[in-house]
Amino acid sequence: MAAAQDSILADLTEMINAVLGDFATDQVITMDTTFRDDLGMESIDVVSLAGRLQARYGDTVNFAHFVAKLDLETVGELRVGQLVEHIANSLEGDGVPAGSR
Amino acid sequence: MVRANGIELHVQRLDPAGPAPVGRTGPTPTAVLIHGMASDTMASWYFTMAEPLSRAGFPTVLYDLRGHGRSDRPATGYALDDFVDDLAALLVELDVTGPLLLLGNSFGGTIAFGYAARHPDRVAGIVAVESSPPTPEWMSRVRMRLERVAARLPREGALAEIGAARGRIAARRAADTGRMLADTTLAAELPASRLPARDAIAAIACPVLCLYGGDSAVGELAPAVRGLLPQTRVVVLPDQKHSVLIDRPDSVRRHVLAWLGEECGIEVAPPVTT
Repeated sequence: MAAAQDSILADLTEMINAVLGDFATDQVITMDTTFRDDLGMESIDVVSLAGRLQARYGDTVNFAHFVAKLDLETVGELRVGQLVEHIANSLEGDGVPAGSR
Repeated sequence: MVRANGIELHVQRLDPAGPAPVGRTGPTPTAVLIHGMASDTMASWYFTMAEPLSRAGFPTVLYDLRGHGRSDRPATGYALDDFVDDLAALLVELDVTGPLLLLGNSFGGTIAFGYAARHPDRVAGIVAVESSPPTPEWMSRVRMRLERVAARLPREGALAEIGAARGRIAARRAADTGRMLADTTLAAELPASRLPARDAIAAIACPVLCLYGGDSAVGELAPAVRGLLPQTRVVVLPDQKHSVLIDRPDSVRRHVLAWLGEECGIEVAPPVTT
């Protein structure tokens, strides 16, 4: 895994635990972790995570556009790795190396 | 989180990606998406209509109603007027001053009509999914439904049944709904709400789109809605239930975008295929 993805995964792990609060588990979050089945995240938790992503990365990471291709059913099947890759690609597309943010 | 009407409301905003589509004249309304009562949150709109609306050029606002999702849960204050007050205060806090396109799911639609009855000049259009303006007939249905849920959830084994039938997350959501009904006066207060005068509802002049699921009893109210608001376009989606918004987001999207162009005179950008 690229170094940039590594640091995004660390960021994302922190945000996921903040969103889950009391429901956070102590399991290690990897690229293969699923939001619904592994983390028990509800759709509103994913929305809340999207808000934090927007605050952290700005409009460069268009999370709403990303999830609009999913629906309420498939958003639950989303893996953490898919989001990490989306963020990394968005930041690269912006011309700014992801690791420098 | 935004503080409005004395409580913290969980708000998300999506701004349009590009400039307004060519050919659009006048200010573009801000789309405000209002979810339903008890087991619902802004997520139902977030994953269905929010992105298509922002892509069509509408600044888009979503929020969790008081008591729901990640907004505050005060013990009391769950009459229709409280929900309309929250919306009015939220728009002031967000500095949204122009015309509004209100979209409401189930009781969220009723809040949209309640807001429009008070501020008819602000509202450029209303989309109500499986909903009705605040009429006595509709409120008695809301009462029955809330009583049923409030009686079922605390029953021993109810959450386990829901978990077995619909999974762990559905059970967690049902548990939260049960806590809300136990910890707040919503189930008693909401059905007893003071309602706007019939004339105030009938004075809403903006275009209205009402979508119903063909298998849902809420559609029985459609003739009464047209009696009050003859401009209403009624669309019934066959074989669909009360959860039509999340079950058939593609159909809802198509009808809303067509209605915007045909009834509201708002050209929307052609859909981007990706």
